[in-house]
Amino acid sequence: MVLATVLIDGNNFYASCEAMVDPSVVGRPLVVLSNNDGCIVSRSAEARALGIAMGVPFFKVRTQLERHGVVVRSSNYALYADMSQRLMATLERWVEELEIYSIDEAFGVLHRPADGDLSAWGRDLRRQVQCHLGLPVAVGIASTKVLAKIANRVAKADPARAGVLDLLAAADAEALLAQVAIEDVWGIGRRLARWCRLRGVAHALALRDMPSAELRRKCGVVGLRLQQELRGVCCLPLVGVAPAKQETCVSRSFSQPVCELAPLRQAIATHLVRAAEKLRQQRQRAGAITVFVRSSPFDGTSLYSRAATVTLPLASNDTSVLLAAALPLAARVFRPHKPLVKAGVLLQQLQPEALLQHHLLMPITPQQQGRRERLMLVIDALNRRYGRGAVQWAACGLQPAWAMRRSRLSRAATTCLSQIPVVHAR
Amino acid sequence: MVLGCGVVAVDAGCVAVDLAALLVRDPRCTLLLRVCGVSMQGAGIDDGDLLVVDCALTPRPGDVVVARLEAGFTLKRLVRRPGGLALAAAHPAYPLLPLPSGGDGHVLGVALHVIRHC
Repeated sequence: MVLATVLIDGNNFYASCEAMVDPSVVGRPLVVLSNNDGCIVSRSAEARALGIAMGVPFFKVRTQLERHGVVVRSSNYALYADMSQRLMATLERWVEELEIYSIDEAFGVLHRPADGDLSAWGRDLRRQVQCHLGLPVAVGIASTKVLAKIANRVAKADPARAGVLDLLAAADAEALLAQVAIEDVWGIGRRLARWCRLRGVAHALALRDMPSAELRRKCGVVGLRLQQELRGVCCLPLVGVAPAKQETCVSRSFSQPVCELAPLRQAIATHLVRAAEKLRQQRQRAGAITVFVRSSPFDGTSLYSRAATVTLPLASNDTSVLLAAALPLAARVFRPHKPLVKAGVLLQQLQPEALLQHHLLMPITPQQQGRRERLMLVIDALNRRYGRGAVQWAACGLQPAWAMRRSRLSRAATTCLSQIPVVHAR
Repeated sequence: MVLGCGVVAVDAGCVAVDLAALLVRDPRCTLLLRVCGVSMQGAGIDDGDLLVVDCALTPRPGDVVVARLEAGFTLKRLVRRPGGLALAAAHPAYPLLPLPSGGDGHVLGVALHVIRHC
């Protein structure tokens, strides 16, 4: 039995999600912007065809977009996260093992059939995802992760392949490897790519066939593993269940610089409330909290960056307890006349919920503890049901001026009952 | 030892009816949509109803389907006509629409259930 490694990922995932829940944008150029409507992070095929580049700041291309009638959307994370879960749950059925690598990317392992060709399997998978979820995906099939990445890339770039390539069944596999620039090989950073180029190693095939000893001297076992993967020897196994998190972080840039303590406290409270919610989802408690802020590196003055940490006497995932401990840190990281552009909260020393170590000087009865835990469960359930912020801590403030700018947000079409799309009966 | 009703029920292998399971065949490919308009009253679907749509089912003539048209999601019944498949309202005031070329690609899914407040 021979195993195959596949990489499945969504084409223009965010843009495709937007089109899935709004047919009026199908076939039109569409771009999705990053946080605070900053840069272009996803483009529909039509937007690509217009020559709109990835990662450019929105304000630079705004008039160009308007001239071409491009639909512009803010990042709708609720929608993308839900569509991602649907996609991953669908993929699980198609492979024997699945590693979710990012919001729109997953590696899978499955057995190769006797005839060795998985192209038809890939086409079936692609058709089903398109038909059931309305999302276009590309399927790269090979024997290792690094090769599956390459297969996926070629499958997407070459229209004749229609989004599917089994590298092992391809007659021209070596020629395909020679087409993949060294910079585009998974795991090759900018510096390593330059080093390769200087030695005349310009593409994936040349990297595969270069002397191992030379590669080992330059980048040790990491480089050797990469080369072995290119030779079809598995060195990077799938990571199935994610290991328990050691830290949880929530941070955001402000829509406008924050210069006063009161809004900074609100921002820190808001991030902490979100982080505590994540913590309870992960069934963990935090033993320490770090609050950090920074000014803009581009405003001409010296960069101001500060962090402050507090250790809790008793690990907790109770939002009130965490807020009481973290809010005094705001004053410690704040400096007047230093406009801040970003603040964040890092929860550390995470431990499983089941394991609660009691503190000699802070007696808390099991009854009290149970009541607090039930309160948190009720608040989380209400916020899930009626939308985030339905029940909120007063410390977070009402309609804060620093909140993330998302002026072109589409609906939470699959996760909030009041925002589901309309179907016309006319 | 006290035996309550609950214990008997567990012994009989009974489980409370799961409404979500009745309405949703597969949550991965189910969408909820809000109906706006009266053209499907003849099919028992009214303005303001909540519609459970299954995107994985292959639409067959006779099914109530959600079509992806330029003007937005549109609710119609898929019907067979001499010229091919068409989209029909369940109300005499609305005209028959031909299914745009590309056929299946323009159907989001099949409407399976309607949820309505009394």
